[in-house]
Amino acid sequence: MTQLIQPQIVWTAAMSAMFLPLIAFGLILLITHRWARVSAALAIVAAGASLACSVYLLATLHDVQIPLRSTQTWMMTSDFRITFGYLLDPLSLLMLVIVAAISLLVQVYSLGYMTGDPGFARYYAFLSLFAWAMLSLTLAPNLLQLYIFWELVGLSSYLLIGFWYEKFSASEAGKKAFVMTRLGDVAFFLGILLLLMNLGNLDILRLNAPETTDRLSPGLLTTAALLIFGGIVGKSAQFPLLTWLPDAMEGPTPVSALLHSATMVAAGVFLLARLFPFFNASPTAMSVCLAIGAISMLMAATMAMVADDIKQVWAYSTISQLGLMIMALGAGGYAAGVFHLTTHAGFKALLFLCAGIFIHAFGTNDMFTIGQAGARKRRIPMICLIVAAAALAGVPPFSGFFSKELIMARLADHPNPLWLIVGLLGVWLTAYYTFRLIFVMLRPRPGVIPQTAEGHAHHGAHRFAEGAMNVVVLLLAVVAIVLGWFEKPISAFIVAPHSALAATGGHHAWLLWVTLALAASGVALAWLEFGRRTATQKGFVEKMPALQTLFANRWYLDRLYRRLLDDGIYRGLSRLCAKNDQKVIDAGLDELAGGTVASGRMIHGLHAGMIQYKLLTISIALGLLGIYLLF
Amino acid sequence: MMWQQFTPELYHFAAALLFTALSMTRRVDNRRDYWVALSLAGGGLIVCLAAVRAEGLLFLNTYKVDLFAQLFKVLLSMGLFLVVALCSELNGVARRWHSEFYLLLFTCTLAMMLLVSSVHLISIYVSLELSSYSLYVLVALRRDAAMGTQAALRYFLIGIFSSAIMLFGLALLYAATGLTYLSDLVQVLPGVIDQPLVLVAVVLTLGGFFFKLALFPFHFWAPDVYVGAPNQLAAFIATASKVAAVAVLLRVVAATGGQETLLVDSLAALAIISMTVGNLAALVQKDFKRLLAYSSIAQAGYVLIGILCMSPEGADAAIFYALALLLMKFTCFLAVVKIAADGGNPSLDALAGLHRRSPLLALALMMAVFALAGIPPTIGFTAKLLVFSAAMHKGYLVLVLIAMFNVVISLYYYLLIVKAAYLTEPAVETPAPVLSLSARALTTALIIAIVVVGFYPNPLIVMARQASSSLF
Repeated sequence: MTQLIQPQIVWTAAMSAMFLPLIAFGLILLITHRWARVSAALAIVAAGASLACSVYLLATLHDVQIPLRSTQTWMMTSDFRITFGYLLDPLSLLMLVIVAAISLLVQVYSLGYMTGDPGFARYYAFLSLFAWAMLSLTLAPNLLQLYIFWELVGLSSYLLIGFWYEKFSASEAGKKAFVMTRLGDVAFFLGILLLLMNLGNLDILRLNAPETTDRLSPGLLTTAALLIFGGIVGKSAQFPLLTWLPDAMEGPTPVSALLHSATMVAAGVFLLARLFPFFNASPTAMSVCLAIGAISMLMAATMAMVADDIKQVWAYSTISQLGLMIMALGAGGYAAGVFHLTTHAGFKALLFLCAGIFIHAFGTNDMFTIGQAGARKRRIPMICLIVAAAALAGVPPFSGFFSKELIMARLADHPNPLWLIVGLLGVWLTAYYTFRLIFVMLRPRPGVIPQTAEGHAHHGAHRFAEGAMNVVVLLLAVVAIVLGWFEKPISAFIVAPHSALAATGGHHAWLLWVTLALAASGVALAWLEFGRRTATQKGFVEKMPALQTLFANRWYLDRLYRRLLDDGIYRGLSRLCAKNDQKVIDAGLDELAGGTVASGRMIHGLHAGMIQYKLLTISIALGLLGIYLLF
Repeated sequence: MMWQQFTPELYHFAAALLFTALSMTRRVDNRRDYWVALSLAGGGLIVCLAAVRAEGLLFLNTYKVDLFAQLFKVLLSMGLFLVVALCSELNGVARRWHSEFYLLLFTCTLAMMLLVSSVHLISIYVSLELSSYSLYVLVALRRDAAMGTQAALRYFLIGIFSSAIMLFGLALLYAATGLTYLSDLVQVLPGVIDQPLVLVAVVLTLGGFFFKLALFPFHFWAPDVYVGAPNQLAAFIATASKVAAVAVLLRVVAATGGQETLLVDSLAALAIISMTVGNLAALVQKDFKRLLAYSSIAQAGYVLIGILCMSPEGADAAIFYALALLLMKFTCFLAVVKIAADGGNPSLDALAGLHRRSPLLALALMMAVFALAGIPPTIGFTAKLLVFSAAMHKGYLVLVLIAMFNVVISLYYYLLIVKAAYLTEPAVETPAPVLSLSARALTTALIIAIVVVGFYPNPLIVMARQASSSLF
């Protein structure tokens, strides 16, 4: 089979998949930025072609056992060698298709959502940049290349989150996202340097090989793994760097859909999966993954329970689901984690895009207001939203059910039962907060129907554009329904290169029922509190003011960081540094520069003298030279 | 036949004769003189290029035609051509003396061509003097007679002083070895160079060339002469004259064999003092040409680093540096000439707002100044890199470090020029400098050359390597 594949064609396809969005980005910024429609068409064509290439690659290479690599040496010294190129293996192929598909769908959807925005062309340029960065990250064969595109992903998120930069909160959110993820990236970069110094190369396949992990001392391996994990924590908005993601919804809603499903935050989990065998070699690192994943999952779920902003609920749920994926990977469930990443990409995009339709129509983010304004009269988005919510809550037969089931089975195999309990608690919480939102929107409290004209409302938008939005959500809903049935082939496909790691766990029939019961009880509680005709629409958390404020204030994490920043950094460290800069460095440099200029003046003065003195100087200089040479 | 190898020199001699004749005609026609000079200089460049592969020994073996000499002759004729191209508005020289001006320029170029080919102590001395005397007179041709004469007198006094020192050195050298041919000295000198007498003789002999290169302590003439001379002539002194000095220094220093640390140490000391003095004094200059003069003194120090390495790499670097200096300094003086359309001395303030008056000129000036400061990717960066790496190759770490410090100091005044041209707003609006089409083409070509050679210096380095192979 392998010999049938022509490397030339594969190379071309991989390169086109990677670079077409970049070309679109360049063309839009340089040439077509004045013509909004042309720019959008360019971006969409590029994304479509990228998707076609990705699907072609997946179709051609799906049964190839050995990962395909193509690299060019970029930098070589005696100590290390850095290459550029691409790596095609099941994980990168799967991710490539997900990223390309979601990018394309989001771009099509944005046709409707962003109609009439003055920055339409710029928006599509940034989306293309985003797609390019993420696609290239997916295919990166070594950590340095991955890191470069990792940062580009961060940059394009910054640009898109702060897309409406004239809005103060948007530009603040963009900055926050950038700075907080950078914080993790510093750790990531240190990890890369540590590996580079000790191994001399950053090739992912080699890092994952047992020979490499055996060569490193356990302490070094754990340190490197934890440093890299720092980057993942930042990118995937895990505890303690999770507060940027809820703010990131300041960007346009399609951007949130992209950000939360296939790009940006998914990059973190992707990296963990990419280096899975490497992490697996360090039990400590795996435990840290489990713990961080668990904390983030529970924390974000509690925050989601009290949020009223529809996008914020989905943002918290993203953190929580990413935490679940990291737990799965940390528990050794490679296939479970990656499969949940796949299903999550589908239904999370759908959740945001549906929310976007409501926000677009009613001009508000508040779920109560949207409900009152008549969300349920909009059949298509409402049904799609319910499908996606069911998938998120783990209701069969939607895709999320299957992937969660895999994860729970994996957690049940873990010797420590704590993780399974935490995971099940997460399942229950997820079902509760998801359906809380659904019932609020389905069963609006009787009240004044607000006239919503403010916010992001574009009435009388293009018919075609509205249609595009609906088509996209319908497509994604179909994916959310059917993807779960492909659990077996996808898992088998992903696990193929890591067959050694794919230890099949015991069968836990009881677990299935426990999970289902928990999900059902979550939904039921949500119905009791929000869905009944006589419901007060007050959650049990809201009846406990202390918890309510704690959750609504995001566990005071933001305030804690603010305090640390103000007192620790600004008042302490920064002031010391500023003083040192002014009093020591600047003053020293001023003295030095002043002295230099003064000596220049002196020498200049020497040249102003009469010719006799100059001739005398020559004689003296030669005399001294002669003395030196003679004696 | 031996006369064929002598064609470039004969050509320039003929050109000088033609201007002698022109200067004796009654009619004063500056346009005619300019076009004749320009075409003759262009022809000279072509002749030198055509003769670049000539080889041979002439005049009782006192005159060596080899790739090294021919390459420098190309550089010299290129310098002459460029300088003549600037003379379309020769306002610094009285109208009736234009033909004499060209006559002396061609004579001086001829003398420097003789200088780079001479391999006999006496012929070296004679051609050095011929080139110096042409320059003394040329400086005095300044229209502002008081300024020109004063500068010329100072030039002359320091010149004859250094000539005397050089003659003394030559006499000592002859006394110590009894030889006058460089080819013989190459055999004998390395064996006797450790004798103090020979050392002193060599250093004093080099004094004459140091004077040409404006190297400490023979640099005192440079600021006065740059300011006192007509702008075009200052350009000639800063470019062609330096190139010739580098060539003859390379030849003579190479003859000492490069084994004597005392000689290297004294040359290194001179290089360090020269660049330090030049850079420090340049910091406080207000007059553009005076600043360029001090910058030349500093650059002479950098070139000497390449020369004192006495290794093939050092020689290559010095040859490359000579070419770089030719381009960079000429571009600066192009700006000087164009800004001071009346033939006066522009101050740094006169550059204010240049980027609006003439963007092309401002860009050229900026590139040249960046190149002089050694900022990549310009020719100046490559030249400094070559010189410093040659020195590092020989292990002169301290020397390179001091040179690096000097580069940092020099950055200040080089950036002052850029600041004046790009950031300062002019106090009074001055008319834009007039750039004819050909001047624009020339400026553009210079910008391109400064950048392209910086990016892709390899062909020239290969050329320099071939040329210097006859030295060692």
